[in-house]
Amino acid sequence: MTGWNDMQTRSFYESNARERARYLLDAGSFRELAGPEAQLSSPHLPVLDEAISFDDGVVAGLGKINGRPVFILSQEGRFIGGSVGEVGGAKMVGVFELALKMHEKAQVKYPNDESRWPAIVISFETGGVRLHEANAGLLAHAEVMELIQACRGKIPVLSLVGSKLGCFGGMGFVSVATDLTIVSELGRIGLTGPEVIEEVLGKREFDSADRGLIYRTTGGKHRYLMGSAAYLVEDSIAAFRDKVAAVLAEPYAKIAAKRAIGTPTLVEEQLELTALAAQLKPKDAYDIWAHFGNEKIAKSIPDLSTKEFLQQVKIRKGGGVS
Amino acid sequence: MSQHLKDDRSARIQSATHLMNQGKLVDTADAVSLLEHVIQPGDKVNIEGNNQKQADFLAKCLTQVNPEIVHSLHIVQSAIALDNHLDIFEKGIAKKIDFSFSGPQSERLARFVKEGKIELGNIHTYLELYARYFVDLTPRIAMVAAVQADIHGNLYTGFNTEDTPVIVEATRFKQGIVIAQVNEIVETLPRVDIPGDWVDFVIPSPNPFYVEPLFTRDPSLITDAHVLRAMIALKGIYAEYGIKRLNHGIGFDTATIELLLPTYGEELGLKGKICTHFVLNPHPTLIPAIESGWVESVYCFGGEVGMEEYVKARPDIFFLGPDGSLRSNRGFGQVAGHYSIDLFIGSSLQIDQYGNSSTATAGRIAGFGGGPNMGCDARGRRHVSEAWLKCGQEDGMLQGRCGTMPRGRRLVVQMLETFGEKWAPSFVEELDAWKLAEAAGFDIPPVMIYGDDLSHIITEEGIAYLHKCKSLKQRQEAIRAIAGYTALGMAAVESETAALRKEGIVKTPEDLGIDRTRANRSMLAAKNMRELVRYSDGLYKPPARFRNW
Repeated sequence: MTGWNDMQTRSFYESNARERARYLLDAGSFRELAGPEAQLSSPHLPVLDEAISFDDGVVAGLGKINGRPVFILSQEGRFIGGSVGEVGGAKMVGVFELALKMHEKAQVKYPNDESRWPAIVISFETGGVRLHEANAGLLAHAEVMELIQACRGKIPVLSLVGSKLGCFGGMGFVSVATDLTIVSELGRIGLTGPEVIEEVLGKREFDSADRGLIYRTTGGKHRYLMGSAAYLVEDSIAAFRDKVAAVLAEPYAKIAAKRAIGTPTLVEEQLELTALAAQLKPKDAYDIWAHFGNEKIAKSIPDLSTKEFLQQVKIRKGGGVS
Repeated sequence: MSQHLKDDRSARIQSATHLMNQGKLVDTADAVSLLEHVIQPGDKVNIEGNNQKQADFLAKCLTQVNPEIVHSLHIVQSAIALDNHLDIFEKGIAKKIDFSFSGPQSERLARFVKEGKIELGNIHTYLELYARYFVDLTPRIAMVAAVQADIHGNLYTGFNTEDTPVIVEATRFKQGIVIAQVNEIVETLPRVDIPGDWVDFVIPSPNPFYVEPLFTRDPSLITDAHVLRAMIALKGIYAEYGIKRLNHGIGFDTATIELLLPTYGEELGLKGKICTHFVLNPHPTLIPAIESGWVESVYCFGGEVGMEEYVKARPDIFFLGPDGSLRSNRGFGQVAGHYSIDLFIGSSLQIDQYGNSSTATAGRIAGFGGGPNMGCDARGRRHVSEAWLKCGQEDGMLQGRCGTMPRGRRLVVQMLETFGEKWAPSFVEELDAWKLAEAAGFDIPPVMIYGDDLSHIITEEGIAYLHKCKSLKQRQEAIRAIAGYTALGMAAVESETAALRKEGIVKTPEDLGIDRTRANRSMLAAKNMRELVRYSDGLYKPPARFRNW
């Protein structure tokens, strides 16, 4: 078994759901909840003659980050595209409910020590709802959304996006509804996937074979520049872990101030952006980056390393980023 | 003394002189008219194109000629790759075809053959077809593609020279006519690849000729299963035989081997002992091995989009012209691949119970390309190398053919997963090629690699060293032993497999001392396209569809 220290330098993008869950947490602290040995798998897939997975594509667990209790959810893109089905969805819901219960007890027991209150971290890798069991999957989306609202003012909920499939479909909505998002430049966030956009609007509108275009439109650098992702980090487990640890060391109010949606001010901002898009008629993300003060580096942004990009980029004012 | 061909050639050129403006230049707009003047019904015509480069503008022009003037052509060309290549049969412009490869058009071709729209001559390997250009399939007209030309007809074909020299030589030296589409006209060429007096007409093309990045494999799509098979190949074959001179086919399996050289290969202490000389297109996945000092020489059949600058900067490795850029040559590449390599390794769609393999399915005529020229034992080979001799000495049936006379043997290896796409079994009782042969009226089923040429099969179950078998029956047992959960594999008899393992005819990863838990992507020297670019010092410029940044 590879050691915890070795795994810290490992690419986050390359890591599977269980590796991400285990190694984001303090060494030896990860306890899986409803793991593969429980064999909780989809009741719908066998009916359709499809293969199942004993964890239904979601790793749920509990552990610590720098000593603070953290509930973790990690999606596995290699199982039916990280899709959310009934069992995987229920595991997500269950973790939120457990976290809320623990929060109730913790705030009574340690009223003045937020560092002993639980947090929730979700490592997304999904295309959204599992079409084989769409009703149950959609219900899970709605329940998680509701629970994120229930966590407001109580539990920090953090999204991590830096895995192969990114975070798309209904889960794109879910991730943006959390307190903040941490991305790597390989992380992609969106609603409709590139192939579907091309199919509906045509190749001229969006060429899904042009992977550079996909990254310019949905990738981590763009999301960070636009303010919908609060932090951009290098592609390693340690980089994500360090940023989560730094965020969780902050008081709750400061974390919640990074939210990208959910206040009247933020709604107004979104409306302004919609108006701007109509006025600017951008042909490519380059135009938008240039508009927000990156005229000189716009064309070279894709080629910049994460470090160079963070040094040189001007991010959009407003949004969740103060 | 008869000089019919020479007179005919002069007459045809004479009929088109009014279309030539400056030197040998013909306006883009006059291209169709030129073809109508110089091509005659029944001519053997070659449109340059293979699995990479295409004379696509001239192919399109040929579809626009008047079928009353130009018809019943006999097409003799490497590849049927573009829609236009088959459109001319629908319009009656062409009647018969002799070719080598038809990848993207394989389904439509099968349909045309079935509907009687096309008269199918033979399906060849590249080398066979080139050979026949000099015997009984000599083109009367060749339409080729070049990067640059001057007004005298000198051509610069550069990085993607590929088939041009062989086509032009066969055509022009038998009094045929050579027409070139060129990306641009310049005053001075970087170098002359085809001398101007071998070329009759030069037409500026409205767009640069099309090139397919066929050999680019994105490392991010490599799976742990590929890594396991590559580890098996390196330890059980490359190291075992000391393979220095080799070819890699298209595919993720061989790309994985390339990416394991600087990691697992290094660990096994194989640097300098294997993989020093390649006959291979400039695969981007070879960059880490080259940069780590594994590779001494690479000779290329063709170019690969985006690798131009990198290749230019590595004159010690690649074959570059006096101007510093690569000149690929498919003819020489295939000859080198046939005679000078000790190992060919590739993948197949299906392998039958005897070890014959094919990429044909009932509804597709895909052709052969160059695979069989390398995926065979070169029977005319006489020079000796360690790997070749060892493989020959191990041959279990050699004595039955040659008595006590020692003889070497090329390693011909198939590497594949026991189940392919959509869970189709890779091992079958009978190849689909039989059904295709029946449907298309072929004399024999199209076989990519014959069982008696095949020396090794690698699957996730291990290696079958087929050449060691003493009988066809034993070969069949060895194939079943590594065929996994396919119907063929399920028929394996435990006691037989145990005996084969004892004799070293079948080896599992455990027999080879390979730890399966280490077979994962962390073994790869580069895990994505961007890391390949970094390895190349920014010299490799991947096409848009491969850039994930």
